[in-house]
Amino acid sequence: MRKLRGLWKRLAGRLRGSKADQDFSAEIESNVELDVVDGVHSGLSHDEARRRALIRLGGAEQARQAHRDGRTLLWLENLLQDLRYGLRTLRRSPGFTATAALTLGLGIGACTAVFSLVNAVLIRSLPYGDPQRLVYLFTPNPHLKIPAEVVCPSYGDFYDIKRDSRSYEDMTSYEQALFSMATQGGTQRIGGARVDEGFFSTLQSAPELGRAIGAEDNQPNRAHVAVISHSLWVSMFGGSADVLNRTLQLDGTNYQVVGVMPPEFEYPFNTDLPYGEAHIKSTRIWVPLALDAKKRADRDPNANVSVARLRPGVTIRQAQGELSTMMARLDKQYPGEMREWGALVESFTALSIGPVRPLMRLLLATVGLVLLIACGNAANLLLARAAERARELGVRAALGAGRGRMIRQLLTESLLICAGGGGVGVGLAFLFLRILPRLDPGNIPRLNESSLDGRVLLAAIAFSVLTGLLTGLLPAWSAARTDVTEFLKSHAVRGYAAAGNRTQNILIVAQTAMVVVLLASAGLLIRSYINVVSVDTGFSRSTVTFRVDLDSRYRPGPPQRDFFKNFITRLGALPGVQAVGAVNHLPLSNTESLDFFWVDGFPNVKDQMSEGRSVSPGYFAAMNIPLIAGRTFSDADEAPDARTAIINERFAKTYFAGRNPIGGRISTDEKQSQWSTVVGVVADVRHTSLEEDPGPQLYRANEGFDGASIAVRSTLEPAAITAEIRSTLRSIDPSLAITDVGTMGNFVSQASARRRFQTSLLTAFAAIALLLALVGLYGLMAYSVSRRTREVGIRMALGAQRSHVLLLVLKNAAALVGCGVGAGLVAAWLTTRMMRSFLFGVSVHDPTTIAAVCALLLLCGLMAALLPARRAASADPMKALRTE
Amino acid sequence: MGEKTDVWQGTLALMVLRTLETMGSQHGYGLARRIEQTSGKRLQLNYGTLYPALLKLEQEGYIRSHWGTSENNRKAKFYELTKAGQRQVRKATAEWEQTTEILSKFLTEEA
Repeated sequence: MRKLRGLWKRLAGRLRGSKADQDFSAEIESNVELDVVDGVHSGLSHDEARRRALIRLGGAEQARQAHRDGRTLLWLENLLQDLRYGLRTLRRSPGFTATAALTLGLGIGACTAVFSLVNAVLIRSLPYGDPQRLVYLFTPNPHLKIPAEVVCPSYGDFYDIKRDSRSYEDMTSYEQALFSMATQGGTQRIGGARVDEGFFSTLQSAPELGRAIGAEDNQPNRAHVAVISHSLWVSMFGGSADVLNRTLQLDGTNYQVVGVMPPEFEYPFNTDLPYGEAHIKSTRIWVPLALDAKKRADRDPNANVSVARLRPGVTIRQAQGELSTMMARLDKQYPGEMREWGALVESFTALSIGPVRPLMRLLLATVGLVLLIACGNAANLLLARAAERARELGVRAALGAGRGRMIRQLLTESLLICAGGGGVGVGLAFLFLRILPRLDPGNIPRLNESSLDGRVLLAAIAFSVLTGLLTGLLPAWSAARTDVTEFLKSHAVRGYAAAGNRTQNILIVAQTAMVVVLLASAGLLIRSYINVVSVDTGFSRSTVTFRVDLDSRYRPGPPQRDFFKNFITRLGALPGVQAVGAVNHLPLSNTESLDFFWVDGFPNVKDQMSEGRSVSPGYFAAMNIPLIAGRTFSDADEAPDARTAIINERFAKTYFAGRNPIGGRISTDEKQSQWSTVVGVVADVRHTSLEEDPGPQLYRANEGFDGASIAVRSTLEPAAITAEIRSTLRSIDPSLAITDVGTMGNFVSQASARRRFQTSLLTAFAAIALLLALVGLYGLMAYSVSRRTREVGIRMALGAQRSHVLLLVLKNAAALVGCGVGAGLVAAWLTTRMMRSFLFGVSVHDPTTIAAVCALLLLCGLMAALLPARRAASADPMKALRTE
Repeated sequence: MGEKTDVWQGTLALMVLRTLETMGSQHGYGLARRIEQTSGKRLQLNYGTLYPALLKLEQEGYIRSHWGTSENNRKAKFYELTKAGQRQVRKATAEWEQTTEILSKFLTEEA
């Protein structure tokens, strides 16, 4: 405590520095006077008394110094002195300071920006209590060739699991649902969920207003209550406090609002569920699931998602074991058509974050390299500067500055530069976050929540300090090695160039190598991206598509069929329209329907599956899907007894190998009681992903939809044709609306969005790295040229040609870049294989990319060296000789 | 800092505190004279030693200072004991007595 008080007083003493000094001088003076008065009293002359008093004082300056040391904190004094001195020296060379700070700012900014992204996506906690214990329950079926995370336990199985399992504290099921919500202006489609009891308690999320949906709400007759999201509360009710007990109309039914969730809770987001409802970006309303008794006992899989919270101490593996046992038992207990459901317990966070984790790692590694390159640059600048300051440092060493003191001084300088760099970096990160929403591929969880929060700023400070130490330590160490005797003997300015130069060369080579790795990675991603977007999707990208959903006024059968037939005919008659067709699921729209099938005359195996589509006759023409053989559908094929089918090329090649598929027969029911005849073969279409080869595809003619996507090919601009489509629909039925309007190109763009995101980020970082490395190379060349002015002068005086001098410098640069490229190629060879999962249609050691990278680097390197080289070559020998 | 100085500083602090206790408020010059007197002129105090000790005591809160006027009408800085200082005198005195007692036992036994 006393120590602390002393420390505080010393700090205060530091702040009152000069005043305290004056005070002390006055005290000394008064003491001397008192002494003199005493001396005079005892009979001495005034002068003699004063002389004795001063002797007794024992050196006023020492006393003052001892007093000052005691009064203040010596290290703080030194630090402030270093800071002042550092600031002064940095101000004296603004060019150097700005270059170094900007260089480091780029590195720190890149790191901070990516860290803010990683922080939002991976680190920041989710708005659920203890999310580590949340799991999804899936029942993958090994016979279905679909991803494991699609099917959750059927309701019958789910309630049995809920009753019997011991692994979970709480569990729940929900179904995603798109609602038409009545608003003042008309209707609005909003994403929602029908949730079973325990939904909010399993997630451990509480409403900010009102109450959650509980067990009593899930009685079928009491189910008309709703919990709404914060954003819906604000947009629909203006955030007013009396929202509770007001009503909302969803799909024509009134729901009473009983609760409002906090702003960050809009679970499930589309990024939470890889195979969720594609049209729901986030959930804004929750209503009770309210299953009836029949549904609760249903043993067929549904569209439900099952979430559970593990008991404390229970591992996922244990839960998995238990679920496997239970599913095996249920299989025996309820034999049916569709059984043999497996069991998969998957971590809640891993399911949403899992797919983007490698991308985040890739980005972190990338900016790490960028930061290292920036550090290398700054270190090189500092080394060059330390060599320039050899004389100053030598003098200071000769005057008795300790090595530790000198290192501290130089480190303070580099830390000051990094503080500036950190400031620039935070600014750049801020800009990056402003641009980020425009790059958002829409499938990275919580990307838009990236912000410069406390943790990010802390990280930025850590990056800056780290950079300061990294860049400062090497130059400070080598500068502080100044040998005083050597320095005094030579009293030269340039005694230490050789050692410094070697370090600088190594730094340049290392930087170049890192740039090669980054450029190679970026190059591979760019080639992959080009491959992906230029892949043959099988359809025309200019076709305009939209969706129409019928409401309950249209009964299944003829009313629905007639509506679409009429609508399509009217659209086809519009001027400029070439073809119109309807389909139940558009390609790349994240919805898929799979059919089991059996082919006549083929050794069929169990569970052969194809992507199934119901289309109207004009679909192939509207989408520009080429017909390979046979014919497309006509109106006659829509008759229920027509039984015709069209298959894709892949289907034909696999199941009709060596025979004519036209006239072949396919059945889609297990008893094979009904056969459809193949009338045509069309080209393959990429339905699920741009990057996966299309599987077998089977089309049937049908317009009996309750909702369909309609494709329109026309010579008009998309905006013009969209207006025409809207007015046509209004003239048929004004209460219907079209949704998801866009060209097929939009779907391609959306499907390649994540790739575009990662490619553009990595390319931008690689470009920054290249720029930094070139600035570094230029700096080093310019510096060495300026140091060799005398040598160049002598060479030229002895008859060297200007071109020789030019070549000399360029050769030097080429050697450095060459070494860097060589080392970089080895490093790239080793590292790019880690990128395999990010590549598409290009090998990890793609020779074209590698060659392009090498050529680019050598070219840029020589360009960076050209300017200093020309300066050296144009030197006047007489002037050059006189510089010393 | 060597061991000698530590002991010296420790004892000097106690001398200062003790002197202030007996004399009351006193300026630096007076303190130095008084300590020299009390020691029978065996101690020569210069201000380079005395002032850091005073400063340390003040920082630790055992003494406080204020500007005042001396007996012969001169401006001088006066030091006086605080409450904590009074306690510290008693504590340090007891400690010192114990130390010298132990030490003297050693010395007499040796002899």
